[in-house]
Amino acid sequence: MFNRNFSVSRLPGFGAVAVFTFVMLYLPIIILVTFSFNAGVSQAQWEGFSLQWYQAAFQNDQVRDVSIRSLWLALAASGFATVLSTLAALGTTRVGRFPGQTMIYALINQPLMVPEIVTGVALLILVAFLKVQTGYTGMGYLVAAHTAFCIPFAYLPIRARLETMDITLEKAAADLYADHWQAFRYITLPLLVPGILAGFMLGFVISLDTVVITEFVKSAGQDTLPTYMLGQLRRTITPEMNAIATLFLALSLCIVTAFFVITRKRGT
Amino acid sequence: MGSTGAGVSEPTETGTVEIVIRDLSKIFGQGAAAFHALSDIDLEIRTGEFFTLLGPSGCGKTTLLRVIAGFEQPSTGSLGINGKEVAGLGPNARPVNTVFQNYALFPHMTVAQNIGFGLKMQGRPRSEVEATTDEMLRLVKMEAMAERKPSEISGGQQQRVALARALAPRPRVLLLDEPLSALDLKLRKEMQGELKRLQTETGITFIFVTHDQEEALTMSDRIAVMSAGRILQLGSPHEIYHAPSERFVADFIGDTNFLDLPVASVDGSQATVTLPGGKETAARLPQGYLPVLGETVTTVIRPEQAQTVAPGQGDMDGVVENAVFFGTDTHVHLRLDDGQPFILRRQNIAEAREPAPGTRLGLTLSPGALRVLKG
Repeated sequence: MFNRNFSVSRLPGFGAVAVFTFVMLYLPIIILVTFSFNAGVSQAQWEGFSLQWYQAAFQNDQVRDVSIRSLWLALAASGFATVLSTLAALGTTRVGRFPGQTMIYALINQPLMVPEIVTGVALLILVAFLKVQTGYTGMGYLVAAHTAFCIPFAYLPIRARLETMDITLEKAAADLYADHWQAFRYITLPLLVPGILAGFMLGFVISLDTVVITEFVKSAGQDTLPTYMLGQLRRTITPEMNAIATLFLALSLCIVTAFFVITRKRGT
Repeated sequence: MGSTGAGVSEPTETGTVEIVIRDLSKIFGQGAAAFHALSDIDLEIRTGEFFTLLGPSGCGKTTLLRVIAGFEQPSTGSLGINGKEVAGLGPNARPVNTVFQNYALFPHMTVAQNIGFGLKMQGRPRSEVEATTDEMLRLVKMEAMAERKPSEISGGQQQRVALARALAPRPRVLLLDEPLSALDLKLRKEMQGELKRLQTETGITFIFVTHDQEEALTMSDRIAVMSAGRILQLGSPHEIYHAPSERFVADFIGDTNFLDLPVASVDGSQATVTLPGGKETAARLPQGYLPVLGETVTTVIRPEQAQTVAPGQGDMDGVVENAVFFGTDTHVHLRLDDGQPFILRRQNIAEAREPAPGTRLGLTLSPGALRVLKG
């Protein structure tokens, strides 16, 4: 056993390893952000501060289009995923044990284990079949694919919250004349809000970030921000991509911060 | 679901029966794994009484409370509350409220919102909810804390809020599931008095579950002692303490001396038994039990129901093995002449020395104190 006073930070080289790890984690991001403000076209040589690439990005109609598409796709997909996950979480924690319960739990989480590329190829085949059969080629496929992909991410925090919630509270509500719906509306749901928000935000960020699934499922003219950026990189790389990536990063940071602020305030 | 003999009577008034339980049982599981949590429960609880279910953990007292609350449904038998059969109904359809062991206050609501919750769910008008909430806050002396969250008040205060929340809808019966067990000793004593006051002021029937025999004795109008899913004895604290019906009850409530003594004669409700050392004394018999002459019966006597005298002067003699000082009294552990142990509780009225081990003492038993237990 470890000595009670043992501290890993006293091992030789601890500081160096820690610094190296942080550098590896954040140096690429720092470079990316820095060169988004570069006055020149180079990704290697600093030619002075400028906001011209941000300007270029904002004036680029394509960038605006794919950004809006990405945002509403993420909103719709994580919204659907959150509702479905909340129902799934209630169904797996607030009912008596039923046969196959463990398998249901595994099935809900399964997309986390399956490589994204496999899901992508599978969806490609299915969607191609459906397109031929129905003739529909709209955004519905992307929304459905993203929703399915977001469900395990939304499900985990909601289920965790339900499992740690004191079940006596719902019994107390029933004892105080609340019917099932009232007990859910006034007790379970308000206490579940931090879990639902966490699930929603996690789903939102995941959907916003997904490249592989979108690439396989999308029809022509359905580029999202990540697939658009990937497409652009095949040509010439300009710091406009840095600017877009930086804005993307800022948005993610805002969401994560908002999430922490909300859950901290509601913490029980 | 079972017989319906309990119900169909007009609404009750003070002094009448509030809860009628007939042939009630609760079985968990099936077949060989079946567990009889409650067996053959027959019980009547009177309107406005402080009724206690007392027993060790696992005796079924909490299960019985949960069956009355509606969290569990009885496997067989009937349960009537205020003349209405409620077996099969959910907790929200019964005129009973519960004070939970861990209080179960709603953490996202203020103290006032917690107290008003039951009334709100009953669909009472807002003005009535507010007025009753204020009244309840006053009743439990929590007016100053109305806008606090449960996490911002102390354990004792949470206890008061839980009480107020359960009392606010004016239930016919209040169920209390070991509500004092989480409090420290001093606060517990204080809340015991507080509970008794609330019960008297509101006139609501209280059913109190505890494993603490002292708590049961000090607060209850009547006590049901339970073990292994059955009610062993039902009676006033006096009856339970002074006339235990069987060994388990005598052993569970307070300290007790059990003496195995031969019967010398039987006369109606009284027997004469032979004490160690040969003297004979009277012992009361339980109803419907007649021992055979010469048969050895188990008798009980409380440690405070004997006084010390000079050796040979009392009913029997004993040799001191050790003495334990408890402040207000001293417990003297003796060995009687036939080898049976005997504990004597001596009140420390004067600052007396504990008797030294090996000292021989005479013991006089309080008249009428010795009782025979049912075989």
